[in-house]
Amino acid sequence: MENLQILLRQHVGKPCAPVVKVGDKVKKGTLIAEPTGLGANIFSSAYGVVEDITDDRIIIKPDDEQPDEYEKIPEGTPLEMVKAAGVVGMGGAGFPTGIKLDTHFDGDGYILVNASECEPGLRHNIQQMEDEPEKVLKGVKYAMEISGANKAIFAIKKKNRKAIEKLDELIKDEPNISRHLLADIYPEGEERAVVRSCLGIELEPSQLPSAARAVVINSETCSRIAEAIDERKPSFLKNLTVRGKLNGGNEAHVFMDVPVGTSVADLIERAGGIDGEYGEITMGGAFTGHATTLDAPITKTTGAILVSMPFVDLKGAKLGILVCACGGNLERMEDLAKKYNGTVTHVCYCKQAQEQKNGTRKCERPGICPGQVKNNLEFKKSGCEYILIGNCSDCSNTVMASGPKMGLKVMHMTDHLMRAVGHPLYRTLRVSKEVDQDLNVADNIENN
Amino acid sequence: MSITAETAKQHANDPAVLCCRAEEGTVLAPSNFEDPAIFPDLIDSGLLNTDGALKLGQVLNGSKLTKTVDSLTPITPDIIDKYDELEGEEEAPAEEAAPAEEAPVAAPAATLAPVVGGTIKLHIGEGKNIDIELPAGLGGGAVAAPAAAPVAAGAAEAAAPAEQEEKVVRTLSRRHLRIDKVERGPETKIENHVLYIEEGIEEKAVESEKLVQSLKIDVITPDNYHTYSETIMDIQPIATKEGEAELGEGVTRVLDGVLMVVSGTDANGVQIGEFGSSEGYIDENMMWGRPGAADKGETLIKTEVVIDAGKNMERPGPIAAHKATDVITDAIRKALKKVDESEFEADLEEFKQVRRPGKKKVVVIKEIMGQGAMHDNFLFPVEPVGTLGAKPNVDMGNVPIAASPLEVLDGCIHALTCIGPASKEMSRHYWREPLVLEALHDPELDLCGVIFVGSPQANSEKFYVSRRLGQMVELLDVDGAFVTTEGFGNNHVDFVTHIENIGKRGIPVVGFSFCAAQGALVVGNKYCNAMIDNNKSMSGIENEVLECNTLCPEDAVRGVAMLKAEMAGEEVKAPERKYNVNVKTNNLELIEKATGKKIETVENEQSLPMSEKRREKYD
Repeated sequence: MENLQILLRQHVGKPCAPVVKVGDKVKKGTLIAEPTGLGANIFSSAYGVVEDITDDRIIIKPDDEQPDEYEKIPEGTPLEMVKAAGVVGMGGAGFPTGIKLDTHFDGDGYILVNASECEPGLRHNIQQMEDEPEKVLKGVKYAMEISGANKAIFAIKKKNRKAIEKLDELIKDEPNISRHLLADIYPEGEERAVVRSCLGIELEPSQLPSAARAVVINSETCSRIAEAIDERKPSFLKNLTVRGKLNGGNEAHVFMDVPVGTSVADLIERAGGIDGEYGEITMGGAFTGHATTLDAPITKTTGAILVSMPFVDLKGAKLGILVCACGGNLERMEDLAKKYNGTVTHVCYCKQAQEQKNGTRKCERPGICPGQVKNNLEFKKSGCEYILIGNCSDCSNTVMASGPKMGLKVMHMTDHLMRAVGHPLYRTLRVSKEVDQDLNVADNIENN
Repeated sequence: MSITAETAKQHANDPAVLCCRAEEGTVLAPSNFEDPAIFPDLIDSGLLNTDGALKLGQVLNGSKLTKTVDSLTPITPDIIDKYDELEGEEEAPAEEAAPAEEAPVAAPAATLAPVVGGTIKLHIGEGKNIDIELPAGLGGGAVAAPAAAPVAAGAAEAAAPAEQEEKVVRTLSRRHLRIDKVERGPETKIENHVLYIEEGIEEKAVESEKLVQSLKIDVITPDNYHTYSETIMDIQPIATKEGEAELGEGVTRVLDGVLMVVSGTDANGVQIGEFGSSEGYIDENMMWGRPGAADKGETLIKTEVVIDAGKNMERPGPIAAHKATDVITDAIRKALKKVDESEFEADLEEFKQVRRPGKKKVVVIKEIMGQGAMHDNFLFPVEPVGTLGAKPNVDMGNVPIAASPLEVLDGCIHALTCIGPASKEMSRHYWREPLVLEALHDPELDLCGVIFVGSPQANSEKFYVSRRLGQMVELLDVDGAFVTTEGFGNNHVDFVTHIENIGKRGIPVVGFSFCAAQGALVVGNKYCNAMIDNNKSMSGIENEVLECNTLCPEDAVRGVAMLKAEMAGEEVKAPERKYNVNVKTNNLELIEKATGKKIETVENEQSLPMSEKRREKYD
């Protein structure tokens, strides 16, 4: 078994500080680092010895024997246990769950369970909803108890029929728990989009869901809450999807309970290994992930490892970049432009990609396009032959309405990955943004 | 891009076109629609055809889509459930930020109607030495002329708001001395209309500035205009104050027929202000007769300053070239002070700063360069266009600073601008500033003063100075404002922000800038609806011909007419989409018709001998 590399900064917030020394023996669940500010406890994910501690990680040499037992967290109130177990949001950003739930709805609030699995090609959230929805539901009930919410709504895409049927069966006698069906477009799972879909409340980019008396929480996170409270289990495992240009085809490989710190190479190997030439490996989804390397370790927030098709060589052609808050930031888009061998001649931002105080961007109305033709005119004016866009489904559709007619060749930042996972490219939208909440009513799929 | 309810209202009579895909059943709202401002571009590129489309004002009253349609679809009756009928054929007021110039309705603002048979009430709160003269026929009630109430200087306001007497605030006189010849001699002196410049004064000039390596003086007489010159950094009148008079009042002595010209390079021969510079044969590269340029017939005392290598684009370099030149100019000023009064022209040229209470109160705001490097200005020197006692506006943070119109005409600006020579204002420009003169002499306007505001490099600073300017204009309580700028591009950011900060306070404002083909505004706002384009060049470009595209009397006349129209509540027509010189010509014709006065227009670079540079790069 290879060495595990456990990063001291697993998610938003400050890096944690190690509480072990080189040479210490550790078990599964041994506390090895503690937060220095906003953050969550970090635990060893294996039995072994601390081999090295660097500025950004703790390296553990695992023993040959790896028993199932783990060091348990102390007993306490549910909230204390969630905090002690170091549970963080597993959907991507990794906000500490104990802090998120430490709100006081006093019987008037919502837990919105995000089971939308919105990034294309991912499968592990839905797999869990099919295989162990009971565990997720248990976590949801704890989340309601801790936060004082009186209602919970599961947000899930309508295309996941099997998971929805299981869920419906499970919650049929739960008057306060319901489900809301989402269309199969991106970014239905964006936090504020979930609030809008489920509750009909449109939040400002600077507002948190609490402004709508809601907490949005990922379905896997719910299961980790249940584990922390029922099994006194610290958070050191992660579910994820490995997919792309792999030997044996492009179906999703779902791995449940992978030890945090496992390397990308190890997971790709377990999924069959890379199939010949490839473009890049991304960690996280196609829209919001970033390029990674084989030796990089996974964290508590890693949802996917995707292996892409090789990049088309644009041979230095003039390329415009359209940055959107729903996709990659400028840095990521420039990274891709370089990999495509394009010459970046112009950069536009989607009108709704509002810059936040911390320098990141958030969409003002996720998934609802504000129009894009003005940007296309700018690209055309500056002589771009290609444009690389990072937009959501609706905005990509708008770009397509004028871009090609102007002679702009449109590429989406997810193309190399969508080709690798066998997902349609983000271009013209062919499905309705509205879905009927009756699972048995087929929605209008346009013929445009 | 989607629009707001406010924009939708402004464009109520423009075609309704969806900005994005919208599904069947959608109740149309402003956010569903594309901004009509960009339609012309879309129609040009074949992306849009608005024939048969309903107007925005017809479909925002609860109209619902009956079909899912994609972005850029014009709304037609067959895809919505209902729409409103069109109300009349009313033209929507089109406010638009646009580079081109606009057509004013040139009717002079109405003067006050004579009071016929009304009561005249004079109330004087406090005051002394007040003389009131009224027409004898007053008692009879048949007065045909407005009552005049001349109030002695120093008296408190007489509260008759109607017609009031002009008030002379101060006077500036120029005493002219003709110079027939410039020669070198053992000392700098003026005798019998000959200016002698001390042999070896160059060394003193070089020694005065650390960064200056050498300085050469060329005296260029009219028969010698076909002389090569390095880039011309400034053109300056030679003048000095008489006695104890301060800048902007009293008597200024000035030499006629001779000018100082600053030119230079760095030690590697790179032009100071390379990247748009006017080096070349002077006769081909200067637009003679512009307010800021030399007139044909004048002799040029040109310094060619060489500064340390690489210092040409750093602030101290160009400053050193100017200061070293001023050592020579100052020696001439001292000599000018000694000349006996009898040698001067007998008649003084007089400028009166006149206030016209009761007339439309206006202010002239001149944006000057303040980005640093050679983009700087020395403000308020002791001597006209001098350097001693002056403060660089860059060092003062470029904040707005008030000046009297007479200070402007008396050389309160020593200009250090040179990149983009066709649109930058040389020191001499201020000496003959056409807009200040036009506004000062217009009997229908009450010019309260001039504000200079620097154009800083960073955007945050631009907005900082703009906000200060807006506040200053608010407290002046003016009826209208002119904003001029020099150059184009970077400075346009603050230029349009100045206009916005004035316009949003409800004050009519007219902007002046070179824009045309090359310098179209990079940004704009809805207050940029009255603009004068200073372009004179044939192709609408920065052609590197010194002073070619600066503000001239023909521009000042148009701007004044436009502001009067705006202040009278008349609408300024929207510009054409592309720069079209005919708009200017039409405006001038309109003004000529309304005023009955012929307006002379200036020539452009086509009247000059063709230079190598112009042939290669521009025409």
